[in-house]
Amino acid sequence: MGAREAAGGAPGAEASQVAFDGIANRALKTGRHRLLLIAVLFVIANFVVGLRLVDVTVIGDGFEPRFAAAAAGVRKAQFQRADVFDRNGVLLASNLPTASLSADPAKLLDAAEAAARLSRALPGLDRAALQRRLETPRRFVWIKRNLTPAQQARVNRLGLPGVAFHRAERRVYPLGRAFAHVVGFVDIDNRGIAGIEKTFDEELRGVREGPAAPVYLSVDARFQHVLREELARGMQTFQAAGAAGVILDAATGEVLAMVSLPDFDPNDPSQRDGDARFNRASLGAYEMGSTFKVFTVAMALDAGVVTLSDGYDASEPIRVAGFVIRDYKPEKRWLSVPEIFVHSSNIGAAKMALDIGAERQRAFLSRVGLLDPAGVELPEVATPLTPSPWREINTMTIGFGHGVAVSPLQLAAAVAGIVNGGVFHAPTVVKRAPGDPSLGWRVVTPRTSKLLRGLMRLVVAEGTGGKAAVPGYLVGGKTGTAEKTGARGYRREALVSSFVAAFPIDDPRYVVLVLYDEPKGTAATFNYATGGWTAAPTVARVIARVGPMAGIPADDPEGGEAARGLLVKIAAREGPGVAF
Amino acid sequence: MARFPGLSNFEKSVGAKLRQVTWGLVLLLCLCAGIGYAMLYSAANGSPEPWAWRHVVRFAAGLVLMLGIAVIDIRLWLRIAYPVYAVALGLLTFVEFFGVSGFGAQRWLDLWLFQLQPSEVMKIALVLALARCFHGLTHQEVHRPVMLVLPLVLVLAPATLVLRQPDLGTAILLLMSGGALFFVAGVRLWAFGAALAAGLAAIPLGWPFLHDYQRERILTFLNPERDPLGAGYHILQSKIALGSGGMFGKGFLAGTQSHLSFLPERQTDFIFTMLAEEFGLVGGLTLLGLYVLIMIYGIAISLRSTSHFGRLLGIGVTATFFVYVFINMAMVTGLIPVVGVPLPMVSYGGTALMTLMIGLGLLIGVYIHRDVAIPRRPGAVV
Repeated sequence: MGAREAAGGAPGAEASQVAFDGIANRALKTGRHRLLLIAVLFVIANFVVGLRLVDVTVIGDGFEPRFAAAAAGVRKAQFQRADVFDRNGVLLASNLPTASLSADPAKLLDAAEAAARLSRALPGLDRAALQRRLETPRRFVWIKRNLTPAQQARVNRLGLPGVAFHRAERRVYPLGRAFAHVVGFVDIDNRGIAGIEKTFDEELRGVREGPAAPVYLSVDARFQHVLREELARGMQTFQAAGAAGVILDAATGEVLAMVSLPDFDPNDPSQRDGDARFNRASLGAYEMGSTFKVFTVAMALDAGVVTLSDGYDASEPIRVAGFVIRDYKPEKRWLSVPEIFVHSSNIGAAKMALDIGAERQRAFLSRVGLLDPAGVELPEVATPLTPSPWREINTMTIGFGHGVAVSPLQLAAAVAGIVNGGVFHAPTVVKRAPGDPSLGWRVVTPRTSKLLRGLMRLVVAEGTGGKAAVPGYLVGGKTGTAEKTGARGYRREALVSSFVAAFPIDDPRYVVLVLYDEPKGTAATFNYATGGWTAAPTVARVIARVGPMAGIPADDPEGGEAARGLLVKIAAREGPGVAF
Repeated sequence: MARFPGLSNFEKSVGAKLRQVTWGLVLLLCLCAGIGYAMLYSAANGSPEPWAWRHVVRFAAGLVLMLGIAVIDIRLWLRIAYPVYAVALGLLTFVEFFGVSGFGAQRWLDLWLFQLQPSEVMKIALVLALARCFHGLTHQEVHRPVMLVLPLVLVLAPATLVLRQPDLGTAILLLMSGGALFFVAGVRLWAFGAALAAGLAAIPLGWPFLHDYQRERILTFLNPERDPLGAGYHILQSKIALGSGGMFGKGFLAGTQSHLSFLPERQTDFIFTMLAEEFGLVGGLTLLGLYVLIMIYGIAISLRSTSHFGRLLGIGVTATFFVYVFINMAMVTGLIPVVGVPLPMVSYGGTALMTLMIGLGLLIGVYIHRDVAIPRRPGAVV
């Protein structure tokens, strides 16, 4: 559309309007020029907007925020002590910024008044004691450490001269009791004094090797919760004095869960003393009882002392050196090696141990780490109690788990070394990087390992460990029940009942150990408090929950190929086999 | 086409007038509204509810209204320009002193499909009144400062009232479109210089009278990072969205800044940001191009108008349209402080849409009646 001739130039206009037309023409011309000027202005303005659009969408520069975080200026808090995580990055120990309150008594106007007002603002402060401290001639007095924000606000409102806040940090354990024993805790100066906090104190504070580095543990918070919950349930049911549990990665010796009950809240310093602080899983040393038969049978088979078709006469208790070795449920007949294991015959195990001999027994137990403190990265580690000298009677009792006291963690690691194909790994609570060279050593042949897996499966399928069976999973294990020693020898009523299991037993990925300290039988267990009645059901519940978490497919425990491959033929000959 | 003396009152039939409508302009408006539908659909996370379908209904209603206004004889608008202005000023005064205020600022009367804001009516009424006023002044008269008193009052009275509401966007819009009319009417350039100087001088004087949030906006404009989570939030999020859109954008319905609600007011004032995030620079420039074409239509229609009134009316409407586009786009790209002005034809909101459609109806009317000569004084013969 172009501009046309102005209206004033229309033909036939009256003469009187000529002058007017000239003026109108000028007005019109001015208007047109101005219109075009405005058009130019519009063009420039739109061009500027367009250029700006190109600038912000495509070009950008260092000053234009492209990312919300940079724009919002989010800064990470800085702390003195690094965090602790589980193997999946779940936070186990961290820090909160707090303020600590101090006073300069010389600057206080009135110590008595200050003490009165401070003790009102901060509950838990003793007014008289505070006043005494504020009246000392020192120039620096701590009033209270780690104030909450609300407390800090209250103190601020008091408007007292002479008091000062100091930036501080407080260690917090988000999962609380669940990891109380493994992670440990710190003292008021944030120095680790228990558990991982103590072992890795310098690394976490960054004293030795550069900056503070977080520690990744091998534990899995999910497994830990399951184990703790089921142990607590069992401890309640059986009125036990305590309980311990361990889940190990059978192939690497990594601790996936370690629980000791009763436990405590590491966030509450007042709870940290007494029995609860005691880590039964690693610091407790127990005579483990029949679970030791795993080692007796393994060393006998591995050394060629017996074969599965051999056996021992278990018709009579053994009397030796003033002791009587008897079976808990006497079969009173010749028992094959599998029968000795499955029925947990003390007589058979003792005779087998004698055939092995003290030297070989001692060497073997040493190789599976049962005669030295466990090499785990915890300060709370038990030193095993071993007989000295190592007599024949000791060899026989150790054959069925009496006379040597070890920690549950050690036992689980040793069992893992037997069932995983025969390579022992020292237990560890620190996450192993994938592909880390294995530091294990061979303890039995793969064939012996396979035979033991079959025998352990048999215990669950037909023996004392039936309650450890889990539908859909192949579980194998061994019960253990030991009498605790009292002032006058063994106490029949005070038991340490345990069950150690591996699953899936055809190719074990996990070793699970559960131990109850002084459990009491219930009506449901016909007043039995043995490992098969107390610890085995707990192991079953743990496996039933942990298996799906670990992504282990369930299969048919009866007809599966894996199950048939494990079948152990039980020789049932009558009469003496190997001479005693 | 009647261009004969004495036949300047020639009446075309409605049908003939409709054939004269600049359908190219109507098509451009429909394209803009279509983009508006798409963006409102996206703003509701892929749903015509609650904005997109209403936008279309309003646009359709606005189209009918626009064409209806376009065919009305332009001389009628000349006759009722002052009465309309008087009514608008009355309403503005009424809500200023008696109206109920919602959201701290918006003062409106509730009508079907949209709410009537007297300040919106005033945007059209001011253009009409100024065009009427300058139409009656000769070239010499325009050069006499005393003759500028009436048009200045016409502009400043409503601008002051809306500024008190407070509605900075509308006040700026009134001042700028009024200024455009003054300019085209031939007011001497020194007068604009004087006005500019007076305005700059008023800044330190006016600062104490600004609302706290207005001061915040200006300070934040100068440095958005001074308060990234508060007053600077809008513009920072908008820039992040624009920057993340890049050349071709993230794709329809895929703008994270807008769909995850980082971008505030994405259906109204910041809809252009959303467009640029999802369709990138290409999408943004496309819409800007459509707007430029519409403005070219407006300028051309004004140039083509025979009557001074029509020319002034056309440039007034075009300037209003331009100010909407410019303020909105300059705001979301961080060129100017955040001022609440919607994007024509695209932003959700009935009142602004109706105002613009009425104005564009007048513009098309100017074209339809481009050859109608109008006497300077009522009753005079051209």
